[in-house]
Amino acid sequence: MTPILIWRWPTRNGLPPLPAIASVVTVLVAMWLTASLVEVDLARLIGSLGKMAAFAGNMFVMPDWKYLPQLLGKMLETIEMTFLATAIALLVSLPLGLLAARNATPHLIVYRLVRDLLSLMRAMPELVWALVFVSAVGLGPLPGVMALAFVTVGFMGKFFAETIEVVDQKQVEGVTAHGAGWFQVRMFGMLPQALPDFVGTVMYILDHNLRAATVLGLVGAGGIGYDLVMSMRLFQYDRLLPIAVSIYLVVTLLDRLSDQLRSRIIHGAQAKI
Amino acid sequence: MSIISIKSATKRFPNGFEAIKGISTDIAAGSFTVILGPSGAGKSTLLRLMNGLEIPTGGSVHITGETLGKSNLRKTRSRVGMVFQQFNLVERLSVVTNVLTGRLAHRSWLGSVFYLFRNEDMEIAQEALARVGLTDKAWSRADKLSGGQQQRVGIARALAQRPKVILADEPVASLDPVSSEEIMMLLREICDRDGITVVVNLHQVDLAKRFADRIIGMNSGRVVFDGTPSELSPLTLQTIYKRDEIENDTNLDLALAYA
Amino acid sequence: MKLKQTTPPSSALPPKPRNLFPVWLAALLALLWLIVHDLEISFETLAYGVADMGEYFSRYSKPDFSELSRYLELMKVTLATALWGTVFALVVAFFLAPLAARNLAPHPLAYRAAREILNFMRAMPDLLLALIFVAALGLGPLPGALALGVHTAGFLGKFFAESLERVDKGVYEGVTSTGANFPQIVMYAGWPSILREALGYVLYIMDRNVRMASVLGMVGAGGIGLALHDTLRMFNYGQSAALIIVILVTILVIDYASAWLRRRLS
Repeated sequence: MTPILIWRWPTRNGLPPLPAIASVVTVLVAMWLTASLVEVDLARLIGSLGKMAAFAGNMFVMPDWKYLPQLLGKMLETIEMTFLATAIALLVSLPLGLLAARNATPHLIVYRLVRDLLSLMRAMPELVWALVFVSAVGLGPLPGVMALAFVTVGFMGKFFAETIEVVDQKQVEGVTAHGAGWFQVRMFGMLPQALPDFVGTVMYILDHNLRAATVLGLVGAGGIGYDLVMSMRLFQYDRLLPIAVSIYLVVTLLDRLSDQLRSRIIHGAQAKI
Repeated sequence: MSIISIKSATKRFPNGFEAIKGISTDIAAGSFTVILGPSGAGKSTLLRLMNGLEIPTGGSVHITGETLGKSNLRKTRSRVGMVFQQFNLVERLSVVTNVLTGRLAHRSWLGSVFYLFRNEDMEIAQEALARVGLTDKAWSRADKLSGGQQQRVGIARALAQRPKVILADEPVASLDPVSSEEIMMLLREICDRDGITVVVNLHQVDLAKRFADRIIGMNSGRVVFDGTPSELSPLTLQTIYKRDEIENDTNLDLALAYA
Repeated sequence: MKLKQTTPPSSALPPKPRNLFPVWLAALLALLWLIVHDLEISFETLAYGVADMGEYFSRYSKPDFSELSRYLELMKVTLATALWGTVFALVVAFFLAPLAARNLAPHPLAYRAAREILNFMRAMPDLLLALIFVAALGLGPLPGALALGVHTAGFLGKFFAESLERVDKGVYEGVTSTGANFPQIVMYAGWPSILREALGYVLYIMDRNVRMASVLGMVGAGGIGLALHDTLRMFNYGQSAALIIVILVTILVIDYASAWLRRRLS
């Protein structure tokens, strides 16, 4: 190892490993090339700090107490949308997941079709689907629920499919050897193995969907999103703060709950079946 | 001249368990000491008091004359190398980088955070690797090595610190008999040739007898034996390994079989 | 000498612990029914909607690509926004995550503070952040990038912190015992141990940011979202279809690329 300079990296040639250099350089080049597209402007950023401070100051006014009942109603609507959409999605994605699993699907063509369908369903953000569904069924929470459920099915379907694909074959063989039919093999041999991961994933989905649901109102698909955007547009700061705070509280509550539940599951529970 | 001095140390853990119930002892510079005892005796805790990985709840610990406390924790640790039962290497990093972590306390931290080292650090690391006989494995990833080899990397890491003391917490418990032999011989050689004080935790009586200058026997957080290997008789072994509840102790029989 | 007589234990199983599963299921179904009722979701509307759905989706069957070059430009801006947002998030998370890891944090106060900051960043929906930043910075992609960056820094930071917490305690002790300080322990024992996971998370967040960037335009934060909003508003289904296809294809490409990269990592 010939010394090049006083300092060196702990590699054979003294330079950082190639993958590290390559990835850092790629990212930096990409950023440099796209800086103008993103209108990155340090002066503008620093100049805006004053405005941000003013904005923050404006937010901390006396809340509009008369608005609170409506706020609570809208928050409740948001939460309800989340749960309903998630429940529907779970129901629909179970059979779809089976069809999209290489070891459980009745036919390879079905497998490919369903996989691609699921891929498409989760490709776009909920807001885009909400736009489309509002256009189709009108304003209100229904298109919101549909949009959330749609994307969730795309995600859960893939999750189930992947979990089923890694099931322990020995357990499946055990059930089959006892003469279980096509459906029973999947119900009693495959699905129970997928369950432990299941709860963690459901909590994650609920968390994600709640956050998504808070903005769907922007396009008229129900929830607090509409009030949120309107209060910004109309400079109704006495509403903005309560809205922001209630979103923060609800999201954080669910987040903590899901953390708690996940650690309970990890530390085991009595077998219920 | 004692390089490690423990004065009336006690250690009580937050859950109430008293691991060390009042120990005072001095370790002479350049000596090879083995701490012997059944599991749960507090050997690990005692060893970890010597480099600040555990802080005593009562009493004090002195290394190279300085009292171990929050302010000089890092400085003292840089003079005391540690070898672990589970090797505790960073698996993804190369052997060389693992050994170089021994130099971290000696480097101003700005460069080291970018994985930059001075040439003299590389030379010290090379030396340490040569000392443990692993020069040909220098650029391998740490997790690609066998247990015995990984432990040697651990020792090289400790050597790279240019320490005054090397502590070894059950260094051979996870190794096969041949590797265990190699590691103990390496530690003994380091003590003899480089004059580094070595303190080793073991539960294997035969290894203790063969390699130690001095044996400290521990049981339930107290020192129950302190002497040379020749003074270790079946009777003294019984005091070290006895457990109040159990009449017939297979541990004891095993120990006595080797005595 | 008579042996002590003992009665053999009865062969009955101990009583089965009460299975509450059916109770939970019933409660859940009741709750869902209540929700449907409260949201005033009429199945009639849905049924009509489904019937109309066929006709409705057929309106999208003739995509109008006449403005394709403009759409592609917008898509480029969207991608760039996602990139900058992700890098920003990475930098912030890189510094906050070690403080938010219980077994690494130098002080319990630092740990609590870091965790709360990350939680706060996560809790605010990116759209809200985008609205605020647009108000402060004006229209354009920059507020969008900032909003994405701040929001996903919260996620990335939490993921990183949880990964760091899962590293074996011994690995940290090994480096600590040499006398290393906090930044050194983080760099040598922390990040190398979770590198693979961490890169996976970054790719996941990048993926997510591309999706979010395509909708942030709806609040004036640049990119393709605004275009789609406008075309749908004006019932221009042909152009909407084209836009949706552009967005879809881009997202799918990014998905494949990120999945491929993640496979290469393992």
